[in-house]
Amino acid sequence: MNIRHHIFAVAAIAMLSTGAYAADIKFGVAGPFTGGSASMGVSMRDGVRLAAKEINAAGGVNGNKIVLVERDDEAKNERGVQIAQELINNEKVVATLGYINTGVALASQRFYQEAKIPVMNNVATGTLITKQFPNAAENYVFRNGAADNIQAPMIAKEAVEKRGLKRVAILADSTNYGQLGREDLEKALKVYGVTPVATEKFNLGDVDMTSQLLKAKNAGADVILTYAIGPELAQIANGMAKLGWKKPMIGSWTLSMASFIDTAGKNGNGATMPETFIQSPATTPKRKVFVDNYLKEFKPKNGIIPSPVSAAQGYDSVYLLAAAIKQANSTEGPKILAALQDLKTPVDGVVMTYNKPFSATDHEAIKAKDVVMGVVENGRVEFLNAEDATAKKK
Amino acid sequence: MDMFAQILSSGIAVGMIYAVIAFGFQLTFATSGTLNFGQGEALMLGALVGLTCVETFGMNYWLMLPIVCLFGMVQGGFVELIGVRPAIKIKSEFGWIMSTIALGIIFKNFAENIWGRDALPFPSPLPMEPMAFLGANILPMEILVVVGALVMMLLVEFFNRKTIYGKAVVATANDRDAAGLMGINTSLVITFSYALSSLTAAFAGVLIAPLTLTGAAMGGALGLKAFAVAIIGGLSSGMGIIVGGLILGIVETATGFYISTGYKDVPGLILLLLVLMYKPSGLFGKSAIKKV
Repeated sequence: MNIRHHIFAVAAIAMLSTGAYAADIKFGVAGPFTGGSASMGVSMRDGVRLAAKEINAAGGVNGNKIVLVERDDEAKNERGVQIAQELINNEKVVATLGYINTGVALASQRFYQEAKIPVMNNVATGTLITKQFPNAAENYVFRNGAADNIQAPMIAKEAVEKRGLKRVAILADSTNYGQLGREDLEKALKVYGVTPVATEKFNLGDVDMTSQLLKAKNAGADVILTYAIGPELAQIANGMAKLGWKKPMIGSWTLSMASFIDTAGKNGNGATMPETFIQSPATTPKRKVFVDNYLKEFKPKNGIIPSPVSAAQGYDSVYLLAAAIKQANSTEGPKILAALQDLKTPVDGVVMTYNKPFSATDHEAIKAKDVVMGVVENGRVEFLNAEDATAKKK
Repeated sequence: MDMFAQILSSGIAVGMIYAVIAFGFQLTFATSGTLNFGQGEALMLGALVGLTCVETFGMNYWLMLPIVCLFGMVQGGFVELIGVRPAIKIKSEFGWIMSTIALGIIFKNFAENIWGRDALPFPSPLPMEPMAFLGANILPMEILVVVGALVMMLLVEFFNRKTIYGKAVVATANDRDAAGLMGINTSLVITFSYALSSLTAAFAGVLIAPLTLTGAAMGGALGLKAFAVAIIGGLSSGMGIIVGGLILGIVETATGFYISTGYKDVPGLILLLLVLMYKPSGLFGKSAIKKV
């Protein structure tokens, strides 16, 4: 055989195996960058961009650069499905980050499951999300956000145990997010033997919450528990002010959305919600650097990240995936999956340090102990309990 | 009783929001027998232009009103020239339906690209502290919506009945061909009626924006409800529009309270179906006999 052929073959193998042959690693990024959930989607995307930029500047993953393929799902299930198929079949992404809306996640991730491509949910909180395929041999859906079955018990605990408010009214929107969250809330309240005195519903874009609030008021509720997103939550807060009926609002983490805080203004003060990340005060040096970099790079209005939780979780999700790809030394779905389920080295994120975050049976990175309560005060989210603001300092 | 007063007052406020948008449908239907299905989008554009004036240029709310009205007129005239006139000219029975819907979608896309798709708060010109009135809490802004809508409708009625130009509009509405023979420039009148209808929509937009939030998507749901109001009340009756709006607003709020908030939209739309079945010209509409 010709000696030149040998040399060529050896050289080619050497190039591929040493990583001298650098390929781009394509991550899909899907979320609503426009519309009522946009403050979460855009913050998530910017967090992802920040992390990808840092990783690339530090030499990439095993010498390969991360390339983001961003798509706006407009919070619509059908758009999410189209995007999933496009990212899998045309863009050939190795994994997808994102999903803000529980409904979109549930509709879209089955395509990734079938294609054996991991999905890292970094914002959507529906409890069902990581348990959508209970009968599958391998589950390709992961999450680094606080699931509703973590948040709902915290909300119930804050209302019933801490504040002693037993007459609760639940106000939830009619989407998948609101209604699945309502179920989790009812389950969490049952632990305390509490049945809601009123459970009301509304549609996205409803302009008047009078009838819902009147029902809650008539039923004698002394606290409003919410499962909805920013604009409608603001209508609730403003509606309560209009009725001159001021009761505490405790709800899912969406009460920290800019569209709630900005639109409700002073009526939003005191709204309380579980949070994985609060912009200030920064409790770890890592968090401070992250916030500073974010503000420098994206210059949000008033120096406030529109949705700090989404930004932080988006940022962490990239590092988690990158760590798995590094460990697997491969971009094949099943290998990334195996690495994610058994991460050898801790991942230093802004929400926390992820020490073996996932296992074969548990695809939730964030546990109840990693979540704190936040409260809206004068246009920004603060720690509800002073000890949380310092406890995480290392 | 307090509860009932509260439901009634909120229902009236919501109902007048619908009515003031529905009023625009009636204006164009009267003169040309056509409707602007982009009425919701005209409202949305008015509200967003108003928001830009107030937020970006720091203009006073009341100073911004005439600018928004002017913008509405131009926008409405544009819709008529581009979308409706060609359809009327070729006597196409339904061309205007598609073209006004198409223009509405185009406007929505423009708005999304200029203002984004977030729901934006609109600064209120009046204090947001509620006032107690007959046992119900009412926002000053809600009263402004009701008063503003009524004043606007009265002004348009006054214009139509008392001025020479208004009489041209009424003449065109009654019999376009006869009016044309009398020397009235009927196509100009139709353009004008579109301009007027978009003006009312844009005005309605800035009127309700402090209550509803502003955004590219606000036209869709409101436009649809307003259309239902126009059908329930009758497309040929100004009185019917107000009554239709109040009926829908109060029924919605009352259903939410007395039955279930999950079924809030159902009775109003059942009413719409009943009206279409038994009195297609609307509760207050004059039935027209069409010879074929």
